[in-house]
Amino acid sequence: MNRSLLWRGLLILFIVGILASSAYPLNQKLKLGLDLRGGMHLVLKVLTGDAVRAETETDMDRLRRLLEDQKITGAETKRLSETTFELTGVPASRDATLEDLVDKYLGNWRMTRQDNGVLFEMRDNYESETRRLAVSQAIQTIRNRIDAFGVTEPVIAAQPEKERIVVQLPGVDDPERVKKLIKNTAFLEFRMVDFPKGGGGASSRQEILDNYGGKLPDNVQIMVQEIRNDQTKEVVGQRYYAVDATSTVTGRDLKNARPGTGQFREPVVNFSMTPDGAEKFGKLTGDNVGRFMAIVLDGKVVSAPRINSRISDSGVIEGSFTQEQVQDLVTALRSGALPAGIEYLEERTVGPSLGQDSIDEGLRAGILGGVLVVLTMLIVYKRAGFNAVFALALNVVLVFGSLAYFGATLTLPGIAGIILTIGMAVDANVLVFERIREELHKGRTVRSAIANGFEKARSSIFDANITTLIAALFLFQFGTGPIRGFAVTLSVGILSSIFTALFVSRWLFDLVTSRRGRIEKLSI
Amino acid sequence: MEFLRDTNIDFMKYRKGFVVISVALLIVSVLAVFVHGKLNMGIDFAGGTQLTLQFQERPEVNDLRSVLEAAGFDDVLIQRFGEATANEVLIKTPQAEGGSEEGSQDAVLGALDKEYNPQASFDLNRSGAEAIGDLLAKLDPEGVTAEGGETAKSYYTGIGQSIVDARQKDGIFTSWDEVKNAKDVSQSVFDALEKNASLGTYSLLAAEHVGPQIGEELRTKGILAVVLSLIGMLLYIWFRFELRFGVGALVAVFHDVMVVLGLYALMDFEFNLTSIAAFLTLVGYSVNDTVVIFDRVRENMRRSRREPLRDILNASINQTLSRTMLTSGTTLLAVGALLLFGGDVLRGFSFVLTVGIVVGTYSSVYVASPFAMLWETLFGSEAKSRRGKTSRSKAA
Repeated sequence: MNRSLLWRGLLILFIVGILASSAYPLNQKLKLGLDLRGGMHLVLKVLTGDAVRAETETDMDRLRRLLEDQKITGAETKRLSETTFELTGVPASRDATLEDLVDKYLGNWRMTRQDNGVLFEMRDNYESETRRLAVSQAIQTIRNRIDAFGVTEPVIAAQPEKERIVVQLPGVDDPERVKKLIKNTAFLEFRMVDFPKGGGGASSRQEILDNYGGKLPDNVQIMVQEIRNDQTKEVVGQRYYAVDATSTVTGRDLKNARPGTGQFREPVVNFSMTPDGAEKFGKLTGDNVGRFMAIVLDGKVVSAPRINSRISDSGVIEGSFTQEQVQDLVTALRSGALPAGIEYLEERTVGPSLGQDSIDEGLRAGILGGVLVVLTMLIVYKRAGFNAVFALALNVVLVFGSLAYFGATLTLPGIAGIILTIGMAVDANVLVFERIREELHKGRTVRSAIANGFEKARSSIFDANITTLIAALFLFQFGTGPIRGFAVTLSVGILSSIFTALFVSRWLFDLVTSRRGRIEKLSI
Repeated sequence: MEFLRDTNIDFMKYRKGFVVISVALLIVSVLAVFVHGKLNMGIDFAGGTQLTLQFQERPEVNDLRSVLEAAGFDDVLIQRFGEATANEVLIKTPQAEGGSEEGSQDAVLGALDKEYNPQASFDLNRSGAEAIGDLLAKLDPEGVTAEGGETAKSYYTGIGQSIVDARQKDGIFTSWDEVKNAKDVSQSVFDALEKNASLGTYSLLAAEHVGPQIGEELRTKGILAVVLSLIGMLLYIWFRFELRFGVGALVAVFHDVMVVLGLYALMDFEFNLTSIAAFLTLVGYSVNDTVVIFDRVRENMRRSRREPLRDILNASINQTLSRTMLTSGTTLLAVGALLLFGGDVLRGFSFVLTVGIVVGTYSSVYVASPFAMLWETLFGSEAKSRRGKTSRSKAA
């Protein structure tokens, strides 16, 4: 065997070896897309407006307290939009103090004096920073929640420019529960109940409004409590509470939350406070012994127990929960509250049985197609057909190997792409073989017919396959998930078929004709 | 086996007739897409919710429809899915008003549940392993909670997983026996489940929801992918061949896509992202096919500059005929297998490719080539004088 033959043979062996070994064993090494493995794909939008609004309200609150510390009473703030608020009630004589305070503590705000007050606008970079932070916090929180759920290989990726988060959970079989878990803002607040003073809530909003003479004061808000049947946990009624519009103690002050059992063996949530939180909570409860405190979750009152004495570091949330609800709530509270609301833009869940069906069917079709193609090549090209079959087999190995090696994902369209490749891969071989036949027909010797055949077919092979490659490129660029999988397998298939047709087939022909002397005939 | 070796068919002689046929096909297709019931848009582009359900017994599509319509869903599409024995159904609802995303899915399931699962207890056909584990942990039929909450929970979640796996075999539990026979399900576990849970009438195989923003983005991306691909290919062919061939190939591609699209619409296949992939592949294949012929043309032109285009085209087509038939044949075998045995999800995809290969092969001969001839006739003399120089400079 001459040297070129040897080196080329080794190169082929090397490439095939690397790729084949990275794909073995196949069912472990090959990454399957969600449409084949089963699982969930979610695209969430972080409603960063919520976070911005929260910052505004916090700063408004802060300003008020700072002014109070400076003995400026009567100052009022009113939020005008997500990023602006108005301050009124500061006498002109204290302007200097106001400016000083703003300089020192509210540097993120632009202050403009107006006729009846001062307008505060959030600076742009602070706003964008807040939004950005909200997205990354949301990702972290979601990641924590999903970790607690125990999914293998979750994928959580951000698209920060669009404020989106993409979540992929392979193998998840309870989409409704997962969605609730992720979306659970679990924003906990403790608010003092203003009315009714005797616990149990009011039976209608009207009753509350009547108490205030038809209009709620600014610092009071009506909140709803859903009453559930203890056995079936279904909502059977509603109670209404007038509560403080602001909360000083929130879920952010929680140190820990654990599932527990209440006095009637019903599932409850036990929680404990951080040192800071404990102080605030202690003050809140200490100042309000005898009153009722509403425990509010995501804007709904869960329970409103009476404060019997000062509590600082721990407490209980009970509200006719199921075991499952308690578990999810604890997970949500533990992983931190979501900084902003979440909206689902896209959701795809495929059960694993559908995926398995697809794999089975794809495999069946692939094998059938492959067998038919192989038979055709053998019939038409006789012994040279083996050359093509060998190249085809190599192609399949190379495609699966490349997918495994590069960690690409195989999707259902990807399987179709492989089957397509099986059909088209022989094209390159056919182009070459037809040329060789032509050259033989023209009377050339076997070796020169082979050489000419390959040379003349080469440009055809390139031009034809590159155009399909262009299509695959754009599919990859603009496609998502399964389509990308298809584009990848198609591209890999094309490249490997060019390789096998031009390099490997040539090597095989050379191998067969490598003995010295004239070759009379070529079985083609 | 040699065949089609020295054919000398005058393809171009019949071109006028075939062009008429092509134009007729095009008109029919355009009508089919834009007039006959339009293209069946999948939720990828139109937005909305799509649920794949498996029932214990074969459901009546009309019954399902009336249940959903009674619940307020007007534009519901219900299709049978999968093998006839499998009792699978596809339900598509369009974008809900006000864009409340979960609204649609929960609402549809809620409406169905009221009718088909009225008892509202724990449904073994709809729960995941964790949920089953939680239920078992509460009931504790095997008395393991004494060992600790966490161990008990993971123990029962393991049993839950076995139950879910067993359910996956047929996609749904039709009888309690199937649950009893599941791995790891002891008598006590089974008794506890039978008392406290039920087997719902249907299970959820797949659920998809696409909101309006994403739907629009996917539409835009889809269109961009197709348009840019076509431009890219045109540029490439122009670069490697002459303009008239590039345009000829492009016209052939438009023809192919349009005709297949028309048939696709007539067959009422769903048009979604996978379809875009199929059509782009079709484009690639069609150009592929045309390029092979034009490559021959280029070679023959170099060899005999004086010969009229028509003869060169004929010669080239005849010379590549065996290759064309063989490649189309083998690819057709492969995608044909996919069409017949590849399952429902890919059926539209394989249809596009199967029909596309046939149409694509046809168009390389009877659309691209006549068009190149037409171009030459229209811009004739310049082309003739250019041919002398460009065929040299365009040498591969």
